[in-house]
Amino acid sequence: MAQRAVWLISHEPGTPLCGTVRFSRRYPTVEKRAKVFNGASYVPVPEDGPFLKALLFELRLLDDDKDFSESRDSCSHINKTSIYALPVGGEELWPVVAFLKNGMIYACVPLVEQTLSPRPPLISISGISQGFELLFGVQGFLYSGQKNDSELNTKLIQLPDLLLQACPFGTLLDANLQNSLDSINFASVTHPQKQPTWKAGTYKGKPQVSISITEKVKSMQYDKQDIADTWQVIGVVTCKCDLEGSMPNVTISLSLPTNGSPLQDILVHPCVTSLDSAVLTSSSIDAADDSAFSGPYKFPLTPPLESFNLCYYTSQVPVPPILGFYQVKEEEVQLKITVNLKLHESVKNSFEFCEAHIPFYNRGPVTHVEYKVSFGQLEVFREKSLLIWIIGQKFPKSMEISLSGTVTFGAKSHEKQPFDQICIGGTAYLKLHFRILDYTLTGCYADQHSVQVFASGKPKISTCKLYRFKLT
Amino acid sequence: MGPTSRETWAQRLGTFRASPSAFMAGPEGEDLGRHLLSDLRSEKLSEPTKVSLLALSLEYPAQLWPDAPAAEAAATSLLDTLVLLPPRPSALRRPLLLAATTALAAGGALGPTSGASRRLLPLLLGLASGRDLGRSFGPASEQRPLQATAWECLRELESCKPGLLGGCLGLLRGLLGQEGPVQPLSLLLALALRNALVIQARARLGLQGLLVAGDCPTEGGSWNWMLAEEGDAHLQPQAPSWPAAEGGECCLATLELSPEEARELRAAVAQLLDASYLLTPVAQAQLLWLLGWALRGLRGQPPVLFKPQLVRLLGTAQLTLLHAVLALKAAFGEALFTAQDEALLLRRLTLAAQHPALPLPAHLFYLHCLLNFPENWPLGPAGEEAAPLLLGSQLCRGLLPSLLHDPMDLLARLHLLCLLCVEDEEKEKKGQDQSPRRYLEELLAGLRQRAALGGGPRALATLCFQASYLVARCLAGQPAVLTPLTHGLAQLYRARPALAPHFVDLLDRVGPELGEPLKVVLRQEVVSRPGRDEALRWHLQMLARVADGDAQSATLGFLQAAAARCTDWGLQQALLQVCRALLRAGVGGGLADLLQALARQLEDPDGRDHARLYYILLAHLEEPKLGVALGPSLAAPALASSLVAENQGFAAALMVQEAPAPIRLSVGPHRAKGPAPVLQLQVEVLEQVYSLELRFRVERQLYAPLGAVHMPCLCPGRPIRPLLLPLQPRRPAPASLAVRALYTTPSGLTCHAHLPPLLVNFADLFLPFPQPPEGAKLGFFEELWDSCLPKGTESRLWCPLGSHGLEALVSRHLEPFVVVAQPPTSYLIAIRLPPDSRLLLRLEAAQADGVPVALRTDDWAVLPLVGDYLRGLSAAG
Repeated sequence: MAQRAVWLISHEPGTPLCGTVRFSRRYPTVEKRAKVFNGASYVPVPEDGPFLKALLFELRLLDDDKDFSESRDSCSHINKTSIYALPVGGEELWPVVAFLKNGMIYACVPLVEQTLSPRPPLISISGISQGFELLFGVQGFLYSGQKNDSELNTKLIQLPDLLLQACPFGTLLDANLQNSLDSINFASVTHPQKQPTWKAGTYKGKPQVSISITEKVKSMQYDKQDIADTWQVIGVVTCKCDLEGSMPNVTISLSLPTNGSPLQDILVHPCVTSLDSAVLTSSSIDAADDSAFSGPYKFPLTPPLESFNLCYYTSQVPVPPILGFYQVKEEEVQLKITVNLKLHESVKNSFEFCEAHIPFYNRGPVTHVEYKVSFGQLEVFREKSLLIWIIGQKFPKSMEISLSGTVTFGAKSHEKQPFDQICIGGTAYLKLHFRILDYTLTGCYADQHSVQVFASGKPKISTCKLYRFKLT
Repeated sequence: MGPTSRETWAQRLGTFRASPSAFMAGPEGEDLGRHLLSDLRSEKLSEPTKVSLLALSLEYPAQLWPDAPAAEAAATSLLDTLVLLPPRPSALRRPLLLAATTALAAGGALGPTSGASRRLLPLLLGLASGRDLGRSFGPASEQRPLQATAWECLRELESCKPGLLGGCLGLLRGLLGQEGPVQPLSLLLALALRNALVIQARARLGLQGLLVAGDCPTEGGSWNWMLAEEGDAHLQPQAPSWPAAEGGECCLATLELSPEEARELRAAVAQLLDASYLLTPVAQAQLLWLLGWALRGLRGQPPVLFKPQLVRLLGTAQLTLLHAVLALKAAFGEALFTAQDEALLLRRLTLAAQHPALPLPAHLFYLHCLLNFPENWPLGPAGEEAAPLLLGSQLCRGLLPSLLHDPMDLLARLHLLCLLCVEDEEKEKKGQDQSPRRYLEELLAGLRQRAALGGGPRALATLCFQASYLVARCLAGQPAVLTPLTHGLAQLYRARPALAPHFVDLLDRVGPELGEPLKVVLRQEVVSRPGRDEALRWHLQMLARVADGDAQSATLGFLQAAAARCTDWGLQQALLQVCRALLRAGVGGGLADLLQALARQLEDPDGRDHARLYYILLAHLEEPKLGVALGPSLAAPALASSLVAENQGFAAALMVQEAPAPIRLSVGPHRAKGPAPVLQLQVEVLEQVYSLELRFRVERQLYAPLGAVHMPCLCPGRPIRPLLLPLQPRRPAPASLAVRALYTTPSGLTCHAHLPPLLVNFADLFLPFPQPPEGAKLGFFEELWDSCLPKGTESRLWCPLGSHGLEALVSRHLEPFVVVAQPPTSYLIAIRLPPDSRLLLRLEAAQADGVPVALRTDDWAVLPLVGDYLRGLSAAG
């Protein structure tokens, strides 16, 4: 279950090496075990330079994919997981867990406690999931609240100390690195016996519980006979429980109104102590019917100190909140576009913002736009070949708005023009972004009565709902 | 030398990290470990610098202290530094503990004879169990983190030396119930318990009260190394509770536990599981893997203990927890998971494999888990990816691939879809719907459409070919899938010939089910469309792979038309590659014309030479030889001339190569007949060869040169008549024959081999005189006898006789040459020695132990040979 080494590599396309090792850590005691377990099939962990080169090649992140290269492009070289075999010094280092996220490559090499030839199935190697969890933890730490490069650098500087805490010998103790940071700070506080390890200290102060529900909808509307439109709600419930005592028992319930859409595919935070089987089995896989479990969804738990995601869910609402129509006609050098949008009457007509992005791909820059909008205003980003229709805080009474116009493009001049593999010719899309405060599409809510706390003092309970929306 | 400054260290550490091997090879490498240890005690360096030095020692102990004595010395020094720290708060205590542990464990110094081990272990145990170690161990505020660190150090040492803490199990259990950090203690107890069980099982012993023994060695007492010594030979995996992966090598079944011990064990496991909720999710997962492995195969330990934890674990999104549940599933199967539980687990996995709240790497891992799901009753062969039985098409609906997915996600889902199509075919026979297959076809068509985009990234093309390969491999037996795939690929080639390298790669890797029809349609695609100029290069590359004996005239027509447009070296080479492929395929007549034309008309001299070479090969080599000569060569492409590269390929095929002898030769019994001596050779065939030619060379030219012997075919095990080798001696003398074999192997290579030399003995040259008529024999002999002198010589010698007497000796060795015989005492013998000498022997008045021999010969030179021969006879028996 241990890791032999961990790396953080920033991907820098266009530079000679295409990347830099920002952080690496090796675990020699684990390496020693690897040598014994792997026997003749043992391949040592390489130095940073060769590792960087081999990993970038394998992940197709080097800039030279102009020519066919058998070792990378062969049809039988199939990777279906984020686990790779890297050719290093004539041998293959395996398994290397690696993925790219926000321009940063996260990688580690889990210990395999047996011979590597033949390769055991990945599912039988405990270090694989531990490795993923470590990398997710590092990623979560680096990007929690991080806004710019200097903050990222500060966090990178903290990383060696944090890993010394969270993973001193290569066996991960806590994937929540923020928690490790807190426990360094809380170090002087004495723990009582029944203190969970994932809780760095105890809270002192006014009891308070806050719950926030955020829903996003992902919808794709094709307006085509043979392709079904899709819309799915993805919800996350975030909690912060400021309660005294080392292990306060709390039960949080989520409720739906009578016509609400049932929550499905519920994944809970590990601090939830037990789950109703109806919650466990409610799934989007099943055909929806009236018998679906519609709550209340009860989550008994012992909360950690920090803010945490109590659960994630999906839901299938009966209609998409905004129905869109988008038509593109190519007329010589210009495109004629027509957009109609209709807000469904059941949706709260009060937005924090609402805008429609209309990108054009595989073309030159926008040189000229003539348009007419029934509502809101249009902004043109010529170089990016992008139109943004700012709809504002409210739809008009009719609930319907439209945009029509013609767009003219210049010659495709340089590589910077947006390229897309799907939006070829007349294939194009429009993307709606909006946010509605204090509203959920499913109707899901938590209120004063939703929280039961089995601890001294009556907590103040605050809830909020947030609805974010992306429509394509 | 004084302590190094902070800046120097920072710079030195930076250089070291950039490339440890380069640094260690440099001038500063040798002393780095020593400087580091001494500077840790320097008062001039700040704590952060010292922490960075310790961080280095945590990562690279093998470079700093490369052998066990050095590691031992380093650990001792680190411990000394730790003890000498002033009793105020310090950031060094924790890293010093970790560094000493790392140095001992990684350096292989941990053991009962190591002084540092004897100091470190009681220190760690004391710190961990919260014993007061005096003021030197820093202020009270540091005790907590140091305690947790000490536990972690102990766990690492137990991992590297299983059984090390076997004697402390009772103590650990006792502490778990009291105050103290629960996580490190739980994990250490689980690990030590598992290790102790395995070691005791191997020694066929019980737990022997280990779980209840309360005491543990302290600073005064000595450490109990007994279990560790036993466990040392077998470093134990901490987690392979996977039956398939571990090959059923679970040894715990041999462990005999008394009812008392079984109860204690159960109580300990239950205690650990009950507190598991307090551990972080990753630590919970570790605990489950360990305990699952500890209890698997252990008699009388039902896995129901795990049951209360399962529902809680199944609800989470944590990768490690679901993975640990799968490990329990694999370990215990039906004993822990009923069919309904299995269905629920599959449901949760399916859900997690597509849940929008989870990141892509997690989706991919869950998909992998689905295809390798440890079923209670698996149907397929172990170790092969398959869709679990309970995973119906309804469950898979959300897992179908689409063009919008990331390439890895798409391939993983595509694999699942292919597996469904396999099942689908079975259903189809029963007349059910065939939607997965249509879905698959549409997806592949979409992928091809994207790959056909000119100017798109290569990754898109690669993805399309990977998908095609995957489908061809999974659905090789389904023509209904392969036929549209074949045609779709042909269309893709028509749209974008630049993908030729991908097509060649695909053809090289798929089986004949797709490969053969694809070859045919691609060839048609190329030869039926002369193509624009930029595509010509790709067409030629493609044709070099797909051209064969079929549709010769169309192919040759295409090449003739293309030849005129092959103006540069690269195109000409590509054209010649196609010719080469045709040569290999055995295309004759039309190709010869084409090659002749090319040898005249190509602009580039290299190309012309090449065409001529092919023409000559075609004209002079038989088809099988040609195939071998032009076979794939490993030679690297030469830069200057392609002929050079070609020649490297031919070198193997056309040149004669040295090889070990394929046959063994030996000289058979002597045949004293005919006008000249004939050597009879026995042949033993070691490997199959064709067209064998044996060449002989006589040393010192004692005989006339020998003709070669030919044999068309030799097979091991097939009987062979002896070879007859006529000799023409120039002098009657023994000689040695050097032998070489030249032959063709079944793979068509020509080889030669040196065989051990053959010895022709003096007696092998003996020939009889023609027999005189009966009655004239004595006279004939006397006449010969007299004729030897005066030119020749006479001699007498004593020929010893063995136990069999003279009669036996004559009949065995000299029978053919006897002219007059009066058994058992007297024989007159006349021997012809080619080329024209004679040897006459009178063996008369034999006695019990020997016979006097009178001999005459007309050749002086043979006398010593005769002497040796006669004396050797009795020895030969």
